[in-house]
Amino acid sequence: MPEIHVVRKDNRHLYATYFDPYFRLRHDIYVKQRKWMALDRPDGREIDQFDTEDAVYLFCIDNGQLIGAMRAVPTVLPTLMSEIFPYLNIRGPICRPDIYELSRVFVIPERRGEHAGPRVETLLLTAIMEYGISIGLTGFSIVLESWWLPRFERCGWKAHPLGLPHMMDGMSVLAVLVDCDDLTWTSQCNQSGLTRPTLTWHGLEQVRRRALPDIFLPHAAAFQPAQ
Amino acid sequence: MQGMEAYWGRRALEFVDAIEASPTSARVVSLFEKMIGEFGFHAYIMAGIPTCGQSLGQLTLANGWPAEWFELYNRSNLVAVDPIPRHCQHTLNPFLWTEAPYDRTDDRAAHGVMTRARDFRLNEGLCIPVHYDDAVGAISLGGERPYLDAEAKSALHLMGIFTHGRLRSLMRPLGGTAARRLSKIEAEVLSWAARGKTAWETGRILGLSERNVRWHLEEAQRKLMTKNKTATVAAALVNGEIML
Repeated sequence: MPEIHVVRKDNRHLYATYFDPYFRLRHDIYVKQRKWMALDRPDGREIDQFDTEDAVYLFCIDNGQLIGAMRAVPTVLPTLMSEIFPYLNIRGPICRPDIYELSRVFVIPERRGEHAGPRVETLLLTAIMEYGISIGLTGFSIVLESWWLPRFERCGWKAHPLGLPHMMDGMSVLAVLVDCDDLTWTSQCNQSGLTRPTLTWHGLEQVRRRALPDIFLPHAAAFQPAQ
Repeated sequence: MQGMEAYWGRRALEFVDAIEASPTSARVVSLFEKMIGEFGFHAYIMAGIPTCGQSLGQLTLANGWPAEWFELYNRSNLVAVDPIPRHCQHTLNPFLWTEAPYDRTDDRAAHGVMTRARDFRLNEGLCIPVHYDDAVGAISLGGERPYLDAEAKSALHLMGIFTHGRLRSLMRPLGGTAARRLSKIEAEVLSWAARGKTAWETGRILGLSERNVRWHLEEAQRKLMTKNKTATVAAALVNGEIML
C-alpha cells in the first residue's frame, strides 16, 4: 500500500529529492492538463506564493515514486482564499490557528480510480483528516470546483459553504469550510477499510500529537451470512 | 450587481444552515419547496439518471414534479429521449433547460418532451448535474417564468447541491423489504461493489476476508444468473435488491 508522508519545514530536508518531481507534476497536471495558464512558468514547475516554509505537504509515495499530494497552508498567513478569491467567502475572512487551507490536491492520472486496495484519492482525504486531528485543527478551508461536493458528502466530509459558486474559466468554483473532527476520520477509515493510521511522521518525532480515536469496524458481527 | 449577489448569497447561506439543522427529510423538502417558490419554481426532481434497464422511480431521491407529469414521463419512458438528463452526462456545471442541445428538426422525440412539459406549466428550468465516480444524477427545477439571472442561478445551484447532500445523508440507513433473492450479506457486498469498493475494501468494511467477499459475489452472480460482477450489480440495482 502507498505511504502518506507528512512533509513540513522541520523534516523537509529528508524529502529534498521529491520536491523537484513534485513541482513538475503540478505543472503537468494544472498547466498542461487542466490549462490553468495563469500558473504557467517557463521552467516547467508550478510553484506559487503559498509554497512557503510554513506550508505542510502530504506526499503519497509508492515504491519511491510520488503518486499524489496535497498542500495545507495555515490560514493565519495569506492563502488562495484570502489573496486571490476573497469574493468567494462572504461569511467573513478566516484567519485562525486551528484552520488550514487545502489546495493542489491531486493523484497522478495512472493511479486514479484504482480497483485494487484502497483508492489513492481516498487515502489522501483520510490522511489529511488524520493530520488535522493529530495537531488539533478544527477545520479546513478549501476553494474547489463545485462538482466535488457530492463526493465529499459520500466520503463523510462535512462541508459548509462560505459563499456562492462563481464561474471561472468555464468551471463552477466555490469556497467551503470542512469540519476536522474524530468522527469524520473514523467514519472515513471504516468506509475505506483502514484499521490503522495512515500517516508517516518521518523526522517529526518532536512534534506533539494528540491521541487518535480508536478505529473500529462497526457491525462486523451483524453481517454474518443469514442461514 | 454586488448588492444582489450579497442578498442571494446571504439567503442561500441561511438556507443551507437551516437545512443542516433540520432533523427530517420532510422538513428539508418543505424548506426547499418554499425557497425555490420564491424564485418562481413550482416543480422539481432530484434523481439518479437511469441507465439501461433502471427506472426513474427507483432512483428518485425527492419528487416535486406534478404527479401526472411524473406518471406520463415514466409510462412513456421519456427519460430515454429527454435532452436534459442526456446533457448531464456531458457537463459538470448547472445549465438552463434551453441550453441542453438537441436537433430541433430531426430529434422530434426530444422536442416532444420539451413541448409536453409546457402542458404542466414547466416552461423554463434549471438543471444541476450531480456526478459521482460511478453514477450521474440531477436536480432539475421547473416553472412558468422563473427568475434566472446569474445570481439567482448561483444561489439555486448552491441550495440544490446542499439539499441533495442533506437528503442523502438523512436517508442513508437503507431500508427496503421487497422480496429478495439475495441474502442480506450478498446484498450488502453488492452494494459496496456498486459504490466502487474492491473486494479487499469491502472485506475490511464488513470484517470479512477478501476471499469470503468474492464467495458472496459469486453466489449473488449464480442466483441472478449473470456473467460478471458488473452485470450482477446492474441486475441487483434494477431488481431493487440493492440501492445506491
